[in-house]
Amino acid sequence: MQRSFISRNPSVLIFLTCLALFTVTVTVMSEGSGVGIISTSFIKTLGKTLCLCLIAVAMDLIWGFTGILSLGHFAFFGLGGYMIGMWLMYERTRLIVVESLSQVEIPPTATEVTDAIGNQIFGVVGSSDFPLIWTFADSLFLQLVLVVLVPGLLALVFGWLAFRSRVTGVYLSILTQAMTLALALYLFQNDSGLRGNNGLSGLQNLPGVEASQDVVSLWFLWASALALGLGYLLAAWIVSGKFGSVIRGIRDNEARVRFLGYSVETYKLMVFTLTACIAGIAGALYYPQAGIINPAEISPIASIYLAVWVAIGGRGRLYGAVIGAASVSLLSTWFTGGQAPNIPLGFYTIKWVDWWLVLLGMSFVAVTLFAPKGMGGLVDLWSKRRTPNRHGADLGPSDGALREQEASQ
Amino acid sequence: MSVLLEVSGVSVTFDGFRAINNLSFHIGEAELRAVIGPNGAGKTTFMDIVTGKTKPDEGRVIWGKKSVSLLKMNEAKIAQAGIGRKFQKPTVFEDQTVQENLLMALKKPRGWLAVLAYRANVADLEKAANLAEEIGLKEELARKSGELSHGQKQWLEIGMLLAQEPRLLLVDEPAAGMTPQEREHTTDLLLHAAKTRAVVVVEHDMEFVRRLNCKVTVLHEGSVLAEGSLDHVTSNQEVIDVYLGR
Repeated sequence: MQRSFISRNPSVLIFLTCLALFTVTVTVMSEGSGVGIISTSFIKTLGKTLCLCLIAVAMDLIWGFTGILSLGHFAFFGLGGYMIGMWLMYERTRLIVVESLSQVEIPPTATEVTDAIGNQIFGVVGSSDFPLIWTFADSLFLQLVLVVLVPGLLALVFGWLAFRSRVTGVYLSILTQAMTLALALYLFQNDSGLRGNNGLSGLQNLPGVEASQDVVSLWFLWASALALGLGYLLAAWIVSGKFGSVIRGIRDNEARVRFLGYSVETYKLMVFTLTACIAGIAGALYYPQAGIINPAEISPIASIYLAVWVAIGGRGRLYGAVIGAASVSLLSTWFTGGQAPNIPLGFYTIKWVDWWLVLLGMSFVAVTLFAPKGMGGLVDLWSKRRTPNRHGADLGPSDGALREQEASQ
Repeated sequence: MSVLLEVSGVSVTFDGFRAINNLSFHIGEAELRAVIGPNGAGKTTFMDIVTGKTKPDEGRVIWGKKSVSLLKMNEAKIAQAGIGRKFQKPTVFEDQTVQENLLMALKKPRGWLAVLAYRANVADLEKAANLAEEIGLKEELARKSGELSHGQKQWLEIGMLLAQEPRLLLVDEPAAGMTPQEREHTTDLLLHAAKTRAVVVVEHDMEFVRRLNCKVTVLHEGSVLAEGSLDHVTSNQEVIDVYLGR
């Protein structure tokens, strides 16, 4: 009677197959496997792109399906990165400190080791004591829990306050923007406990791992691909059922959903929190590949980029968000990395490093105006799934009456 | 007949304008009632108060056998308690199929966890199909509701209301923009629904009200002007003055 989840959502299977093929191909061609067609730095770029795709899926859930334009999801992404970064930095510094102290004649006490680690990490901001938030930094497990817990809790509290007051639309967007800005400004301070604008660095070196970056980059690529696959599957499962019906209903007509007896605020809060957790996980996988995280990463513009990716890729369909995030962020790397050839016009040379943002802005406007379905809409063209255009007045009273436009064809 | 909903002494003011003025109204179980009145008489505001969208300045709204006050509940809680509302403009979820619309409205646990775990079973699909048949949309189950005609959307919304299995149905101008045949169908639907639950219909159109053949409440300037059979209220001099102009 009921068909299976996959057969009702063929796009999920197609997506997962593409993702698996991509991962295998890249792995085979990487330096880590010995072929070396793709450089390790590009492997990292691809791995990071997969993480960006994951947060784009989260953004599509909250914006494309629930209709909440959050301009603060990169705050959760960054927090996830900071949480894993704390352990990476602590553990690596500890290994170095223990190594160097093992040379001295009298074995160091535990306090001496901790002080030395603190000195190493916080010397750059003129301090040597561990702030309270580093309490669990010595435990990988606890920091991994915090990767989900910290963004989740922040989203829960923020969302509870915002949704309970029935803040919606552009006002909510501004609030989320303010949240990420406030967080970034706070983290910029030296006494915030996360090394101010220096951020956390050296995250690409996994403590206790002897393998070279060629191999480590592959591990992260696989982990990112796995996370994206699972995240996509979860998101697709959520939106395919009645929960998906309800959140799409909230997007289209909040009041009606309320009068059906659904507590709109709870649903919004749950989606907001869940997507924040997904964003946190994406961030925790992204920053070890980037190697460094600092407060500039969670500046408001990052979250706006996220919205642009999803809009260009196509809101309200998960693969659209992934396509948008992947293509725009890769293009962005290409243009801003100085690889795109400049265009000499004689009197002026278009340098893409400067003009890329203009191009991106114009394509965003163009997509919004001319292709509201984004790049994902191309799939509809290809599969000939046109929505009938039935605008125009009824010509008759009965059910199947022709519309004005249809009759004139 | 026991009283299902009792509204007493309710007033509400918007920026100094008294939309509802000391309104009292009650309706029993399984009763059909038409509410008529000129523009600005407070018909929609009355519905807003009952469904929790607007909080009155004073007065009481008491619901059901246990006599709970609706004023302390939010819209979702009131809907769960058994009050369904149909808006003037047909509001269905146009991006979703008729079946999805109906399944969403079916009386089921409304909590997010229950909804997340919910997968449509055979019984529910059958229920949705039966409802679709009742409202004349059996052939359209798999179509997106945005493709339906105006009248079909109105029916779908009534179908969604029935799916909620409410004890009180508030229906705002159900026949607006319908052809005579469609009106007849709508009348049948409402009459049928009123056999098992209370139905309040707000309507402008006297012909439609006459066909409902029920007790009529006339609202004017936020309070009840007259109540009784249609013939009774239309022969009332005050009602004639208000409706036909002095």
